[in-house]
Amino acid sequence: MTTPDTGVRVEPGSFRDPANRVFYADGEVLRGLDARAAEDWRALAASEFFPPLLAAGKVCGTEPVAPDRFRAPDGVPWAAVLRHERIPFVSHPYEWSFGMLRDAALLHLEVLRAALAAGFTTKDGSAYNLQWDGVRPVFIDVGSFEPARDGEPWAGYRQFCQTLLYPLLLTAHLGVDFQPWLRAQVDGIPPEQMRRLFTGTRRLLPGVPTHVHLHSAMQQRHAAATTSDVRAQLRTAGYSRELALAAVRRIEKLVRRLAPRHARSHWVDYQRTCTYSAGDRAAKERFVAAALTAGPPPGLVLDLGANDGRYARIAARHAGYVVAVEQDPAVVDDLYAALRAEGQRRVLPLVMDLADPSPGGGWRGVERAAFATRARADLVLALAVVHHLAIGRNVPLAQLVDQLADACAPGGRLVVEFVHPEDPMARRLLANRPPGLFPAYRPDEFARLLAARCRIERHVELPSGTRTLYQAVVGG
Amino acid sequence: MHLAYLDAGSGSLIVQAVVGGVAGAAVAAKLYWRRLTTRFRRRPTDRS
Repeated sequence: MTTPDTGVRVEPGSFRDPANRVFYADGEVLRGLDARAAEDWRALAASEFFPPLLAAGKVCGTEPVAPDRFRAPDGVPWAAVLRHERIPFVSHPYEWSFGMLRDAALLHLEVLRAALAAGFTTKDGSAYNLQWDGVRPVFIDVGSFEPARDGEPWAGYRQFCQTLLYPLLLTAHLGVDFQPWLRAQVDGIPPEQMRRLFTGTRRLLPGVPTHVHLHSAMQQRHAAATTSDVRAQLRTAGYSRELALAAVRRIEKLVRRLAPRHARSHWVDYQRTCTYSAGDRAAKERFVAAALTAGPPPGLVLDLGANDGRYARIAARHAGYVVAVEQDPAVVDDLYAALRAEGQRRVLPLVMDLADPSPGGGWRGVERAAFATRARADLVLALAVVHHLAIGRNVPLAQLVDQLADACAPGGRLVVEFVHPEDPMARRLLANRPPGLFPAYRPDEFARLLAARCRIERHVELPSGTRTLYQAVVGG
Repeated sequence: MHLAYLDAGSGSLIVQAVVGGVAGAAVAAKLYWRRLTTRFRRRPTDRS
């Protein structure tokens, strides 16, 4: 018999809609619903539009379970409890590339359009309603669906603009990376901030006149009016479901034609221009493949500094899921497009600077979990990345080894490449620093630090003689 | 009156009418026209 309340952990990011709450129990992802939300769920399950979205994997897998096993935080039993399919690795919109954010926005609009046509709507329009299963976006906020009230516009439009449309406009129209903007503001970019960025002829760029300038002006003008009054006035003036659908279609059309304006960075051609010989590359690939098959197949692999995803793809052949982390948004965008074209299902590319990984965000810093608390992998790949952090960003080697080891689950494997100071790539980085700044940056010192934290299983020097690969077990 | 948990923003609701195209803009115009006429109609009652 299951005892109520055992091991129930409430998801700290799920509190905004009091009608339903995500929690974890017995290793499962569950959603508790109050009486009203339970009624909405029954209508949703019986609707024509919802089951096809579920079957297509566009909405996160959901099924009802017996609610009496769990209690709500206030002690009152939930009216209904749903079990969700687990998302392999939770990521945040500020870790996605332009193409990812655009596809996430398009999925949100597609789901909303299907809902509206069937007499439903979504209560909100946040980028946080979406997650990823590899390179496939998934709408996760099943609690967001409710029957639409005729003559009412979409309540989630402002949120959609702030967390999805505006970030896309920033990159598409101005060539500004949106990630820092979203990371700094959990509710996204307000229209007043956007308005100030789009002055002069930029006012006329697609989507800007209405979604930015008119939106901002209307917000200021109607700041004192209550939304219930405005809803009533719109209904009387003849606002209809067809108009709501037309608005969604027009936003979809706009989002679809937005393309990124990235500055070409040197990372885009890194694999081509870096100094690997064919012999080095072949030896490295053999070493990585052997590490991946050294133990039972790893469930989660983290590829830190993934670049064009060469090793993430190799990892995907042997692992359940691979998270490929890369600093440059343009590189991640290319990788995302390539993985989608290949039909690769097990690699999730993410944008992140390893010297400045995502901190905890939102309310109390726990609403959006920090990368360090999410990253617990069975195997971590850190290939050609140590020199960038140790020389390029001055991270002391000992702390760097700690960072890599902490990304491994206990007993997990670490595959790390040390680029010797004599290597052309390391020399290039060292040339920008005063001589003698990093006396500890030596292969013997790195091996000593690694051995202090992990059990080194094997190591190999690449044919060029300036790079060493290590395979180690953390805490072993 | 049932309200959403999220503050949709009064201005954000009205803009959506315009986003919906010509028919939507007509709804927005109607909304403003009604507001205007209501204001004029109210004045005599306010004084009385």
